[in-house]
Amino acid sequence: MYNVGMITVRLPQKKMELELPGPRRVMDLLAEAGVRPTTVIVTQGRRLLTKDHRVEDGTTIDVISVVSGG
Amino acid sequence: MKCKRCRRAEAAVDLPSHHAAFCTDCFFLFFRRQVTEGIRKLRLLAPEDRVLVCVSGGKDSLVLWDVLMDEGYETEGLYIDLGIDGYSDRSKEKVLAYATSRGKTPIVVDLAKEGIPIPEAARCVRMQECSICGTVKRYFFNRVAAEGKFTVVATGHNLDDETARLLGNLLHWQRDHLARQHPLLPGTDEGLVRKVKPLWRVSEVETAAYGFLKGIDYVTEECPMSEDATSLVYKEALSRIEDRMPGTRIVFYKGFLDPSNPLRKGPEAAAPADAVGTPRACAACGAPTYAETCSYCRMKERVRKARSLRAAPVSR
Ligand SMILES: [Zn+2]
Ligand SMILES: [Zn+2]
Repeated sequence: MYNVGMITVRLPQKKMELELPGPRRVMDLLAEAGVRPTTVIVTQGRRLLTKDHRVEDGTTIDVISVVSGG
Repeated sequence: MKCKRCRRAEAAVDLPSHHAAFCTDCFFLFFRRQVTEGIRKLRLLAPEDRVLVCVSGGKDSLVLWDVLMDEGYETEGLYIDLGIDGYSDRSKEKVLAYATSRGKTPIVVDLAKEGIPIPEAARCVRMQECSICGTVKRYFFNRVAAEGKFTVVATGHNLDDETARLLGNLLHWQRDHLARQHPLLPGTDEGLVRKVKPLWRVSEVETAAYGFLKGIDYVTEECPMSEDATSLVYKEALSRIEDRMPGTRIVFYKGFLDPSNPLRKGPEAAAPADAVGTPRACAACGAPTYAETCSYCRMKERVRKARSLRAAPVSR
């Protein structure tokens, strides 16, 4: 079970998942996860989040890399 | 953060390179305008064109198909099944699901059935997977376009792809490649179809955001064979520069495309640099080539030979 008092940050392409205490802005969560903001989109369900969006505890967000090869 | 365009709705997309942030509706308008302006400025497409859109299942090509359909172009999708375990099945699934949602049936080329799946070809032909893949794809773009009476082939290359390629060409002073690099490669009378890259003005983040907001389900995994592609090194370098100096990429590329740039000969220089004389028909398949048989047929022949060697009984 996830700790409901935390933010879950999923990085599906890296098969990684982090639990971080909130509330925190998307850009700060990305910095914590070591991800450069311009290489990803950040989503919450069907919503796209801007980098200054404040994420509350108990929320799950997905960090999706946009960099394609070739 | 509020949308910079309508100033009412909450912003969904922030674009530092444009010093802008948009709500979903305004972003759709912005993105489509970027694409249509890119098409208009370089005259990539005409309203009467029959467009073959090459779709891989990734975000760029599916977004390209989506925008071209929404803009009223007559399009069909072409999916090339590379025969890569797992990855090919998953990407094909996305292409079929998207096509179905738009009432379309994509044209599918199955490289395993054609006798040249990429992983096996890479073992038989001593060449990098990505360059084999490139040769095979170009071959089928032309062949399917000719068979289906398409006037143009469109691929999903975006600004990040094109600037990464430009940087690579510059770092190695690939003068012939530089002369020909352009979002428009004209067709030839000998059977090479016109090729266009209508997404040349939009970045990867923008196509990803557009695809996500439009509800287009795409493969987010990378082709397992392209993991150490050098283009990713150039991409990362440019992306770090872009982080510090937003807007650099588009300035870099637009400056390159400027007709007065002496490095670039423009679309008319599209003939391959190694082309000598006029092309003739490949003895095996009829495609235009400067040799006896085309590079695709030569590759396929090497795969076939390697197979028959393996199948032959081993003599002591
Ligand atoms: Zn707006
Ligand atoms: Zn041939």
